[in-house]
Amino acid sequence: MTGAPEFELVSVVHLVRPAGIEVHDLEELRQALERVPERALFHHTAGRLLRHPATDELPPDDISGWVAGVVQDRETAERMSFAVESSRSAEPMRAALIEVLNSVPLKDRTAHDAPPGGDLVFLTAESVPIPTGDRIQDARELIEHLAEADASVWFYHLIEQPWSSPDRAPLDDWLRSHGAARLAETLFQTAHTGRPLEDIRQRVLRRWRFNRLGQRVAAAAGSTEKERLEAGREAMTRLVRRMNQPGDET
Amino acid sequence: MSLVAVREDGPALLDGYRAVIGDGPIRTLEGLARRLRDRRLVMVNSTATGGGVAEILHRLVRLLNELGVSTSWEVMSGDPRFYGITKTLHNRLHGAAGKFQHDDYDYFHEVNRRAARELQLDGDLILIHDPQPAPLVQHRRRPGQHWLWRCHIDLSRAGEDAWDLIAPSVALYDSAVFSHVEFVPPLATPSYLVPPSIDPLSDKNRELSDEEMDALLEPFDLPRKPWVTQVSRFDRLKDPVGVVDAFKLARRQVDAHLVLAGGSADDDPEGAEVLAEVQARAHGRNDITILSLPPDAHLVINALQRRSTIVLQKSLREGFALTVSEALWKRRAVIASAVGGIPLQILHERTGLLTRSIEGCAYQITRALRSPPLRRRMGAEGREHVRDNFLHPREARDYLAVFARLLGMGV
Repeated sequence: MTGAPEFELVSVVHLVRPAGIEVHDLEELRQALERVPERALFHHTAGRLLRHPATDELPPDDISGWVAGVVQDRETAERMSFAVESSRSAEPMRAALIEVLNSVPLKDRTAHDAPPGGDLVFLTAESVPIPTGDRIQDARELIEHLAEADASVWFYHLIEQPWSSPDRAPLDDWLRSHGAARLAETLFQTAHTGRPLEDIRQRVLRRWRFNRLGQRVAAAAGSTEKERLEAGREAMTRLVRRMNQPGDET
Repeated sequence: MSLVAVREDGPALLDGYRAVIGDGPIRTLEGLARRLRDRRLVMVNSTATGGGVAEILHRLVRLLNELGVSTSWEVMSGDPRFYGITKTLHNRLHGAAGKFQHDDYDYFHEVNRRAARELQLDGDLILIHDPQPAPLVQHRRRPGQHWLWRCHIDLSRAGEDAWDLIAPSVALYDSAVFSHVEFVPPLATPSYLVPPSIDPLSDKNRELSDEEMDALLEPFDLPRKPWVTQVSRFDRLKDPVGVVDAFKLARRQVDAHLVLAGGSADDDPEGAEVLAEVQARAHGRNDITILSLPPDAHLVINALQRRSTIVLQKSLREGFALTVSEALWKRRAVIASAVGGIPLQILHERTGLLTRSIEGCAYQITRALRSPPLRRRMGAEGREHVRDNFLHPREARDYLAVFARLLGMGV
């Protein structure tokens, strides 16, 4: 086992600022996408997960949402949504979005514009990471803390850090160096399904509990008859205690 | 000039907010506050009572102290002449009519200079609210301090004369904060966007029992029909006449009762004029009730919003329109104009319905009245949207984050 013995969980606050770029039609959008800062792309796409952590269904990213709802070019908007959902970091996303817009004829790019007051104003987000003080030593502790953590903790480690360091996020690295590659895979794969953060939390925790149950069953299968009987008696005692004291969750 | 003593009795705000938004966001707030515990924060505005800013400060100052960030609140006062100038300044910054006298500029700065001598501004972090005390930074900034200007008003149509009065001061701040991107003037100072927020624990927004609501609304004798309600002062920009027209169109299709509830117009000549126009437009209709409420009728407004089937905010122009968040927090179906800060609160078809015309408003009233599932779905999502984005702890968190950033924390 290598790597730092502890890993501190961090939450994050995004401070939003005007990016100084405003677009009126699809051609201006194409030109703006070539120069818009990475953090602005981040705010308008990945950032919406943190703005709507508990929604049943995420609204579209701000850019394709504007193309669909304001410019009312639904076909281009659909293709841009797909480009956003398929990219995990800024530059591939930028290239994919520009490619979609390049495929729209120039005359259509200028014809498809916003009504007065409907221009897309780009914003950018500065991150203020906040150490939570929760230091974990292994995978079990990580899940225990994540179960209770703010959505911004999930966002920071599973969405924002991979966006900034596409090769491998620090939490991913740490888990793998602590023999928890499978958990790392589950966490990061689930996080990149484009689901709302609360949904990601529920799925990861369900899967973790299911796997833990599997491990306990497997461990029990390898124990002696006496150990199994003893475990059964303890489980029965706990059940009876809970039935007699319904308010006592212990 | 005075220091405001914030009430600290009653249960801890932090516990109340924790019960509303959960432990996670409060822990983030506490984590941020821990990083600023050795700093002293001073808030400054120009009134301790009345108005949204004072209302927010009473809560925020107490909350920040509970979090361990030592925070005091200073109020800058003036004389009638100063208030006359700041009233003109306020109106002109909103783009309304008004004219400064030739020596107003000097007097405005003179009062600020005097305030700079008298106010306790020895904190590490100074948060100045709105234009009246903006020049304090010119007269009182000390080395090592970080000054932040929080502008609560819409500057998108600011008159040049008014902006010129405060722009040189604003340029001296380390950062400025605005409620909405459209309100940000051309400015070299780094600007952040921090939307305002509502207090879920206040009389205007707290949960009410059925008995309380019955008692609060009983004097108005409103009929047992679905209520369509707009709560706004009688101001042309809130378009109360347009609300009556939209309701009349909708009534051709559905049965409902319109409630227009606004502040008392006794001390506002224009308000009285608008109220008269609305009354004339609604003349002879027994399906419209116009209520003129006193400024402290928070519980009545709360009950009205909670008992309404639909809440409207059909404004022609808006600042942020927190009445929208208030109604969303109460799980109401909200139909509102796509102006100012409203589209941040109403995500069309998800947390509410945006309209751009009288006919559009009438159509959405009809549609929402006919569809309880639509109202339930939008109401549920609207409440969560407000919980995540428009409650006081989020605003407190954002201010602390701006200060953390100014102090060099962050990426």
